[in-house]
Amino acid sequence: MNALPDSAAPLLEAKDISLSFGGVSALTGVDCDIREGEIRAIIGPNGAGKSSMLNVINGFYHPQKGEVWFRGEKRGKLKPFQIARQGIARTFQNIALFKGMSTLDNIMTGRITRMRAGLLWQALWHGPALREELEHREAAERIIDFLEIQSIRKTPVGRLPYGLQKRVELGRALAAESKLLLLDEPMAGMNLEEKEDMCRFILDAGAQFGATIALIEHDMGVVMDLADRVMVLDYGRKIADGAPDEIRNDQLVIDAYLGAAVQE
Amino acid sequence: MSPGVLNTIEVVLNGLMSGVLYSLVALGFVLIFKASGIFNYAQGVMALFAALTLVGFQTGQVPFAHLLNAVFGTDYHHWSSGMHHAAAIALTLLVMVGFAFLVEKLVLRHLVNQAPIILFMATIGLAFFMEGVGDLMWGPDLKALDIGLPSGGSLWWEEVTRAWAAPGAEYYGMYIDVLDVWATVIALALVAALTVFSQYTRTGRALRAVADDHQAALSVGISLRAIWVIVWSIAGMVALVAGIMWGAKSGVQFSLSLIALKALPVLILGGFTSIPGAIIGGLIIGVGEKLFEYTVGPMIGGATENWFAYVLALFFLMFRPQGLFGDKIIERV
Ligand SMILES: Nc1ncnc2c1ncn2[C@@H]1O[C@H](COP(=O)(O)OP(=O)(O)OP(=O)(O)O)[C@@H](O)[C@H]1O
Ligand SMILES: [Mg+2]
Repeated sequence: MNALPDSAAPLLEAKDISLSFGGVSALTGVDCDIREGEIRAIIGPNGAGKSSMLNVINGFYHPQKGEVWFRGEKRGKLKPFQIARQGIARTFQNIALFKGMSTLDNIMTGRITRMRAGLLWQALWHGPALREELEHREAAERIIDFLEIQSIRKTPVGRLPYGLQKRVELGRALAAESKLLLLDEPMAGMNLEEKEDMCRFILDAGAQFGATIALIEHDMGVVMDLADRVMVLDYGRKIADGAPDEIRNDQLVIDAYLGAAVQE
Repeated sequence: MSPGVLNTIEVVLNGLMSGVLYSLVALGFVLIFKASGIFNYAQGVMALFAALTLVGFQTGQVPFAHLLNAVFGTDYHHWSSGMHHAAAIALTLLVMVGFAFLVEKLVLRHLVNQAPIILFMATIGLAFFMEGVGDLMWGPDLKALDIGLPSGGSLWWEEVTRAWAAPGAEYYGMYIDVLDVWATVIALALVAALTVFSQYTRTGRALRAVADDHQAALSVGISLRAIWVIVWSIAGMVALVAGIMWGAKSGVQFSLSLIALKALPVLILGGFTSIPGAIIGGLIIGVGEKLFEYTVGPMIGGATENWFAYVLALFFLMFRPQGLFGDKIIERV
């Protein structure tokens, strides 16, 4: 684990975020900063607002209060696809792959933000469009090699087992070579071996693709191994934030979450 | 071969050729349905509108002439003696793309997240609206459409097939309209091009992505609105091709928009979400209705082509509601 200086510039800062759905407040005055190059974990009991936080960051939800700063600039009210183009990629708690498409096509879709050729060239399947297609195909193959999924490149992902689908989804997010990667429970429902693989991919992804990663995870062992900093949500409020060791020994966190997690 | 067999072959061939056009129109439906969950009732009227516009450009008609003349007391009908087919087709394509933009801007964008039935109703409204605009723009009279494609029975084919009959048999060769052959070739080329486009280009992949999962598509940077414009443009292009072919055969008139509705039974057969389904469904309906008319038609007074497709579709609905290739409908309880 690389210890980052406290002064590392925040890549993203969400300030004083409040989000509610009708009467339910999902987030209340939450600050969340993510520093360049780190692995940032968000933990907390079910319904604490973890996914909501990621949804605010990538623009699926618009908070009633608060601001998001990305790469030093305050972000206006953007659509999710615009935010993706700015350099934020993500995976979903309930896998959201393009089920009818092959692994390779799913990963190629991840590169859409990086492709430029005009519609006409694409229609003619010629010139810049063809060049671009080949170039990005190579990049996609690199990701396939990295994730060791060569054998399923042509398989429609709907037919893959759960663990592999999770891996392909990570691949699609990686393919965008985004500044910031949001992973919503990347290891949920996996067996031990799959979890270990996934941990390795996430650590290496940070190193190889230079991504900053924010992830939600319930497995405390995994969180302690992976994360540089951990933030804890409970009932939509942030109750702790700091290095994994501090979090592990925080009485509030033990009461609200870790105690329960140990009992499970 | 006996004349009976040869006649049957002729019927099947003609059925396949009209089926390819059904497939093409059904493809327009499937594309829009997959990308936005909308069953576009206006697809048929789009074909009519495209054909009207094409004829208007070809003959140099002034759009909205009646309206303008009534308002300004002028008497303009034609601004030129017309333009070349290719130019008119290109212009009509532009109009259909412009139409796609307008539909997105004025209709779809305001109906995001509405129930499918609401979207469907909106397209019914759109159909009536376009029909009216088409009338107003180009006049309600029946128009001939000719883009210079050859038509009429192929003498060569008649000659060739006559030789197939047993010597001495009373057989005069098969009748195949050259225009149908052209229509088939063009429709096939378009279907092939669309398939390649959707498989191997960025936009094609984006189209499929949106069809699969809106949220995920947004998360990789795809703009749904841009995709809707593209899909409706493609549907416009498909409508134009179908409009040209049907218009060339029987003139550009209102009934043209009803032929396009034959795509509905095609879709029930093929499944609303399946492109191969649309293609095969179109061929089955095309061949089925011709064969039925040929074999059973004479016994029950003919004109079965008007309803056969719908009855076949009804039959399918009872036994395989998701269609031949459609996604299985699983009701969650
Ligand atoms: N789209 C929505 N509409 C209504 N309520 C929502 C919506 N999304 C989240 N919520 C509510 O907001 C609260 C926080 O939900 P969220 O999904 O962020 O929790 P979470 O921490 O990710 O939980 P889990 O560990 O179960 O994934 C919950 O009470 C949830 O019911
Ligand atoms: Mg969640």
